[in-house]
Amino acid sequence: MRLALTWVGLMLLLALTLASSYVPLGTWNTVINTAVSCAKGLLIALFFMDLARAGALLRLAAIVGLLWLGLLFGLSSADYATRDVSPAPWTAR
Amino acid sequence: MPTTQFDNALERRESATFGMWAFLATEVLFFGPLFFGYVHSRLTHPQAFASASHHMHVVLGTLNTAVLLTSSLTMALAVKTSRRSLLAATALLGAVFLGIKAFEWVSELGEAARATGGEAQFYFLYYAMTGLHAIHLTIGVGLVGWLAARARRLSQIEVAGLYWHFVDVIWVFLYPMFYLLERYR
Repeated sequence: MRLALTWVGLMLLLALTLASSYVPLGTWNTVINTAVSCAKGLLIALFFMDLARAGALLRLAAIVGLLWLGLLFGLSSADYATRDVSPAPWTAR
Repeated sequence: MPTTQFDNALERRESATFGMWAFLATEVLFFGPLFFGYVHSRLTHPQAFASASHHMHVVLGTLNTAVLLTSSLTMALAVKTSRRSLLAATALLGAVFLGIKAFEWVSELGEAARATGGEAQFYFLYYAMTGLHAIHLTIGVGLVGWLAARARRLSQIEVAGLYWHFVDVIWVFLYPMFYLLERYR
């Protein structure tokens, strides 16, 4: 029952993300699409992957990959935001 | 008295699940650079990404998302009930997804070959990311198909299920990134 409800929720979110893409909202389209993706991912992780009933160890393992990804995104973004790109002479621009 | 690395069956099962979660954490980092490349590329060429996205088959992409989400439901039910028919259904849905995806790849090849600049970057990322995802799904189909024939323990199905759902989550993020850019135009 819980699994079937999760599936219904996922389908509704899919319909929401598809429908909202046909409404001109500028940057908000991307914000909505990303938020819907995160919501779907959370539903799948909590109920299909059973994190809702999992112990602390499994939850930690699930979070830690995302934590590292966040760190690496942050460090790479800092690089792109604060340094000039100097293409090599042979690089096609 | 023989020694084993586990005190009891529960501990053995938990170790298997934890091992898969640890593997999935490394998989997040494996896919991560492509996602960062996408963010950087799209911020650099927002117009080109939007116009290239209009060449995608939005109907097939949406259908495929529904197929994969449904396959996750059958997988979760298979873990709950240990029914082999549900494992077979999951593998079949995965194969359907791959078939539709292969058709899309072939039909988009012409556009991709002609694309230049930002659009070429869009297609590069599209083929690289959906391709890497499809490789993962192919492994999943093989794994779940094999389990449908000869699964022996619940923990085998459980661990394969975690992998399957992870591959599903990757697609959930890829779908709006490539198919749904400025659809209103």
